[in-house]
Amino acid sequence: MKSHWYKDFFFGVKSIIPLAIGVGMYGLAFGLLASQAGFSWTNIGMMGALVFAGSAQIVAVERIIAGATVFTAFIAGLALNLRLILITASIRDLFAARPLWQRALGAHLSSDENWALTLAKRSEGFNVGYWFLVGSGFTIMLVWIAAGILGVIFSSYIPDPATYAIDFAFTAAFIAISRSLWRGKKDLLPWLISIAVVMISTRLQLFDSSWSIVAGGLAGAATASFTRDV
Amino acid sequence: MSDPVLLTLLLAAATFCVRFLGVVIGQHLPTSGPWTRALNALPGCLIVSLVAVILSSGGINEWTGAIAALIVAVLTRNLPITMIAGIFVVWAMRTFT
Repeated sequence: MKSHWYKDFFFGVKSIIPLAIGVGMYGLAFGLLASQAGFSWTNIGMMGALVFAGSAQIVAVERIIAGATVFTAFIAGLALNLRLILITASIRDLFAARPLWQRALGAHLSSDENWALTLAKRSEGFNVGYWFLVGSGFTIMLVWIAAGILGVIFSSYIPDPATYAIDFAFTAAFIAISRSLWRGKKDLLPWLISIAVVMISTRLQLFDSSWSIVAGGLAGAATASFTRDV
Repeated sequence: MSDPVLLTLLLAAATFCVRFLGVVIGQHLPTSGPWTRALNALPGCLIVSLVAVILSSGGINEWTGAIAALIVAVLTRNLPITMIAGIFVVWAMRTFT
């Protein structure tokens, strides 16, 4: 599978564009927020490249603005990122037989958006793999960093994403992607269990919503492990 | 060290460990049987959980948008069209109702 890695890479770049536009909108909003927390544009660029986890960055910076200590902000961001364990574990075949540096690079570039897109493209019958993940991940990282920096510089001109319902962009994208991931009737019960666990745990406020995602994902996967149909 | 730099370094180190731990766990789980069925089902279950968490804090506008997006997704299987449809419906609901 060594042939034409760059085709896979650039197919990833191209395919992620609609999601990258959404990432760009959030990057602007993040830059605006981070400037209120005393971040310079170099701080934002560094955070985007090294952390590369949008929702965790937003939550951590928001904690700083709310007056929390660096450590508290760090824990809040980290809690949101625990689902990434499941994300990278679920694409293990992409990492199989890859050298360590490629596993490390692919892991670092795995986010909700490009992970889900990679799986969706595969379900649609495209033969995409590791370099698709890396190409699409690299693209949204660049957009995320650039938009964050622009957000600091033009902070006074940035509208709230909710004004144009841009905050719904990822919800709609994840709905489209779940349609692609649907493997037929055998997914029905696991998916219903996932949704039920999330709805019950958020309704009863059993734990933080980032934990509800992990609990819902695990409950659905556990349900699937008991089925006979493969 | 300034607060932004310290926060960045802490979060970067921990987030990378979380991501890489997933890769390591994935490599060490068995490649057949119940574990494989669970791992194969995991992506879809995680995505619907993510959507469910977002919608659990949403109102009628977001639920209407989600239903519209689902219908468009089922009919077209097209990512940009689904995103545009969902955003448009939520925007219209927020603006005109």
